Amino acid sequence: MIRILFISTRKEKIDQYISILSPKYEFITLASETNILDSINLAVPDIIILDTNSGNIDFKNLIKKIKSYTDNSVILLLTAKNFNNRDLIKNANAFLQEDFTDEMIVNTINMNLRMRESLARLSNTNKDLADSLYRLNALYSTSSQFAGTLDKKKLINFMIEGIDKALSFSLTCTLSFCTENEPVLLINSLYELSDEILNALKLRTIYQYKSLFEDKNLPYEVNINNLKTIKHIKYPANRFTFTLFQFDNLFSPITLGDNFFGCVEIFKDAPFSAEDATCFRTIAQQVALPLKSATLYQEIKETNLKLEKLERLKSEFISIVSHELRTPLTSIKNSLDILLSGRCGEVTEASEKFLTMAKRNVQRLSGIINDLLDLSKIEAGKMDFNCKNLNINQVIEYVKSALSIVAKEKGLTLLTEENKNLPEIYADSQRLEQVLTNLVSNAIKFTPEGKSIKIISELKNFDELSINPLFQNINSKQKGEYIVVSVKDEGIGIAEKDLLRAFDKFAQIENSLSRKVGGSGLGLPIAKQLIEAHHGIIWCDSELNKGSTFYFAIPVAKNNSDKNTENLLLSR
Amino acid sequence: MKKILIVDDEQDIVESLKFVLETADYTCYCAYNGEDGLRLAKELMPDLIILDVMMPKINGYKISRLLKYDKKYQNIPILMITARSQEEDRLIGEETGADEYITKPFELDTVVDKVNQYLK
Repeated sequence: MIRILFISTRKEKIDQYISILSPKYEFITLASETNILDSINLAVPDIIILDTNSGNIDFKNLIKKIKSYTDNSVILLLTAKNFNNRDLIKNANAFLQEDFTDEMIVNTINMNLRMRESLARLSNTNKDLADSLYRLNALYSTSSQFAGTLDKKKLINFMIEGIDKALSFSLTCTLSFCTENEPVLLINSLYELSDEILNALKLRTIYQYKSLFEDKNLPYEVNINNLKTIKHIKYPANRFTFTLFQFDNLFSPITLGDNFFGCVEIFKDAPFSAEDATCFRTIAQQVALPLKSATLYQEIKETNLKLEKLERLKSEFISIVSHELRTPLTSIKNSLDILLSGRCGEVTEASEKFLTMAKRNVQRLSGIINDLLDLSKIEAGKMDFNCKNLNINQVIEYVKSALSIVAKEKGLTLLTEENKNLPEIYADSQRLEQVLTNLVSNAIKFTPEGKSIKIISELKNFDELSINPLFQNINSKQKGEYIVVSVKDEGIGIAEKDLLRAFDKFAQIENSLSRKVGGSGLGLPIAKQLIEAHHGIIWCDSELNKGSTFYFAIPVAKNNSDKNTENLLLSR
Repeated sequence: MKKILIVDDEQDIVESLKFVLETADYTCYCAYNGEDGLRLAKELMPDLIILDVMMPKINGYKISRLLKYDKKYQNIPILMITARSQEEDRLIGEETGADEYITKPFELDTVVDKVNQYLK
């Protein structure tokens, strides 16, 4: 019931107000200053009406005192019509004039009551709003912390910090399955805990955890006797004297789909609100996604390490096996050489034929082993390059002189079109000879008798290279000038579907054609690796039954282009 | 006749080297591990040693170093033969004082040519 305190010494006014208000409100009248504060202390009135015409009372002081006791009461002044005591006007909420009718008095009081109610509501809403904003801030900063790490321990810590920021707990208990190799109970508490509370916490957490899964299998076994516990006490000098029952609590699992990372429970010595619960669950849910990412990240890292190890083992294996293969091969080759040289007696035509066959295949095997070794060396990053500035035409000349006899034996013509005055490239000449020898040997192998093979060298800008789109690297940022060497044959060509796999080592080994013609099938993959080690590009164009053209492009040496610009400058 | 010591744990390779070198009028002695190789080198004072690197007991690098740092033997030419072909290994070989470095698989005639170079 609304409580009204009326302070007046005038009998007629007291009677008037009692008659108007006492039926509806709890109406108390006081005629002297002495008991006012006691009365307010006893029960805070909703409205205090002060009759300014009750001589002898220092109203200015009285209002001050009242306000120091309560700021919830509405203060109304009963005044004469032309009242102008500024000090009093300033401190009152409203006025009732001497000549007000009963209705006006009731209306004024009601209006002020309603205003007071609205104000109270507004202030509450304001408080809620500030609260929500604070929580939202805590949530926001927590989720940005979540986004910043892939460390699971940090994530769990951020979650606990976030919960503390948003809800300020007294005690929190996290059962984590994701931060260490075994389940861990993380306890964050304001004060030191007794062994009883600690045990109760363990029992309770395990019970809560098990009740999440009821009949189903638990994702992790937890044993109370050897559950690892990590305590963080904020004020270790103090100690909780409550039992767990005196705390309010909130519990939430930390899960994402089928992934169970743990559960968290918080305790506070005051009740949690519904908003608290929502906020708490939001944080517990939010941490699950980064925990999942962290788990995946960790798995990828581990897989990568395993793969790297496998790759290394593979390279080592190839290198050891190749060495081991070379030794017996050397013995076979030596024996064949001795027999073929006639040092052991005359060699008949038939035995020479088969000895030569054996020797040819030893050479072939030895070539394959060399290729394998090369590839494993390149892949392991152990290939040494002896680079210097050179003119590509030297390489072409070398290959031409080495292979034109082979081409001639097969009835093919090996032509070259070397552009003069090409700028130098920075490269290992032996490796480029290896690449070009491989491309030309392939061309010889796959081109029928009577046709020709042409090697062309030219200078082109990267944009003019017209690389077959199948081999273009979209991510490459290559530009500038390149020396392009092309090997054009009139052979059987490569079907478009096989073209992309031309440089793939496994695909090539599967290629029945290369098997028929011989060779390890590793030549092109090696060529690709060697060219790429020179920051170059290798590709091919081909049309079935018309022929193929293999290209490689190597960037023009840096100091070379500097020289060119110098020359340009000089010529101006 | 000039004496050549062949040290290699691969008996077949030793056999073929022995055969071609004997046809080229050299007397060959063989050892199939490093320990025997080093002992024979000191006992026989050969005119040239053909030395494999990867061997049980004492490897070729070590034998070469031991001989080349001993005034008594340092003038004996050493041809190192190995299945290794890495630049780094070659450098180690040269550091140990070997006079020539031949990688497997090698041509027998090349070895004979090299030997002739040192001994004729």
